Amino acid sequence: MTGGGEEMKGNAAFDEFWYKNGRWIMGAVAVIGFFLAWEALLTWLIPLNQFVMSKPSLIFDGLWQDVLNGNLASDLVVSAKPFLFGFIAAIIVGIFVGTMMGWRLRVGYTLDPMMTALYASPLVAIAPLVIIAFGVGVSGKAILIFVLCVFPFVFNTYAGVKSVDQLLVNVVRSMGGSSTDIYFKVLIPSVLPYIVAGARYAIGRALVGILVGEFYAATAGIGYKIAWYSDMFELSRMFGYIFVMMVIAVVFTEGIRWAERTAFPWRTGM
Amino acid sequence: MADTDSAAATPTEAAVSTNEDLGAITRKTMWEIYEPHVLGIGFIVLVLLLWEALPFFVTFSKGMQLFFTTPSAIGIKLYEMFSTGMIWPALRFSSTAFSIGLGLSVIVALPLGVILGRSQTLNAMFDPFVTAFNATPRLVFLPIFLVWFGIGMNTVVLIVFIGAVFPLLINTYAGVRNADRLLINVARSFGANEWEINKLVVLPNSMPFIVAGLRLAIGRAILGIVVAEFFGGSTEGVGVLMVDAAGKFHVDIVFAGLILFMAMSLVMTSGVKILENRLTRWRPQNVKTF
Repeated sequence: MTGGGEEMKGNAAFDEFWYKNGRWIMGAVAVIGFFLAWEALLTWLIPLNQFVMSKPSLIFDGLWQDVLNGNLASDLVVSAKPFLFGFIAAIIVGIFVGTMMGWRLRVGYTLDPMMTALYASPLVAIAPLVIIAFGVGVSGKAILIFVLCVFPFVFNTYAGVKSVDQLLVNVVRSMGGSSTDIYFKVLIPSVLPYIVAGARYAIGRALVGILVGEFYAATAGIGYKIAWYSDMFELSRMFGYIFVMMVIAVVFTEGIRWAERTAFPWRTGM
Repeated sequence: MADTDSAAATPTEAAVSTNEDLGAITRKTMWEIYEPHVLGIGFIVLVLLLWEALPFFVTFSKGMQLFFTTPSAIGIKLYEMFSTGMIWPALRFSSTAFSIGLGLSVIVALPLGVILGRSQTLNAMFDPFVTAFNATPRLVFLPIFLVWFGIGMNTVVLIVFIGAVFPLLINTYAGVRNADRLLINVARSFGANEWEINKLVVLPNSMPFIVAGLRLAIGRAILGIVVAEFFGGSTEGVGVLMVDAAGKFHVDIVFAGLILFMAMSLVMTSGVKILENRLTRWRPQNVKTF
């Protein structure tokens, strides 16, 4: 009987463990299984044609060499520079314009249709012009990334400022709060979640911007290397860089999502 | 933000405080109704006029002139493109790739989304892949698609497809998860099988999510067309036309192409809106938008 009880307890503990961790364990199993199946398929079943396909062992081997000889690091630095410039400019300008639009009713009326039209249009399409006009260096790509990223910030800040609860402002004021209190206790907490959600959209667009800029014209960088390795038919190296790009994208978006959940638990899934 | 008072003013309060006649607060004047449209459209017109007038005020250097065009030049070019018929083959290619890619993504995403929404295990196993592919700019796969499928329609369609499929999949799945458990149980108690439950309860309930996903997917699909055609995915299409024009400094053609893409996404989005109204007619008004 005691044995049975033990087993029950063991099962309950397992259930709880599975309830908490089952999701990511199954996910991890699926990912590992995917790579193993890929490797096995090309090792034993299908003869590997290196000009058409690669397999994980070769990919990670090539990636490791790129890490060791410093190519990856230098490419990352090259890609990061325009990304940072463009993104930071987009944050500053986007928040400023969005705040003006939300704060002053008529500014909102005036700018809204034009901004909506620009946001809805595939602005990547002006990439060739931007690159030709501003050169293949940092500035052309930074401007492209800025153009792509600024609209999520504008619209989310606009929505955030509009959503500020006037009642809360009045309460703080009636309780004798200073304007600093209003800023830090009402305005920033209500607008910031919107801006962070905007950053999540903007990151995705910024990555597109980097790739477009570097595919179009560049001499180094992650996107350039992907295109270059594919032209050289070095598919293993190319897949390595694609994986790096995927990891960066996932880390950024999921990192922001995690920050949203941790910092603003009352507003998830926006 | 100079003073907090104005910074905190909500739109409604600002609207009220600008109205001097307090008796008319409840009834909006003509001007108040049309003000947003007048200001919004007026601003666009103003910007276009300033752009048009810019050459009269500033003299550009020879280099800058290469990159400069005016709205009227763009409009004339657009008209020419249509009247001479040179745009039709490109437009046909782009819209065909767009429709096939988007159609494929709907065919794949809807059933898969329903399956992932109803099965916890499959959902947990697919989640890392969906997250990873959705976060990554799909353009990254263009070089490998070019190696596998060559230059042409196939590659462009595939780029459009992987661009559009993930937002649609994620939204379908979210909508299915959101379906009312009670309704599902009721349907099951009355003897509905899994297929009927999905058809009668789950899909209609997730329709708003699916439509929202479709709207996202259209944006992604247009983006896919543009980038795929830009980077050698095909030798024809509106995107190819634009890249060639940019290389030859025909700035007006580039902008004309941008306007075409804009129109394409506008038409599709309004189409989705009509579809949404049609599909969610049975819903009470207040839950139509969520």
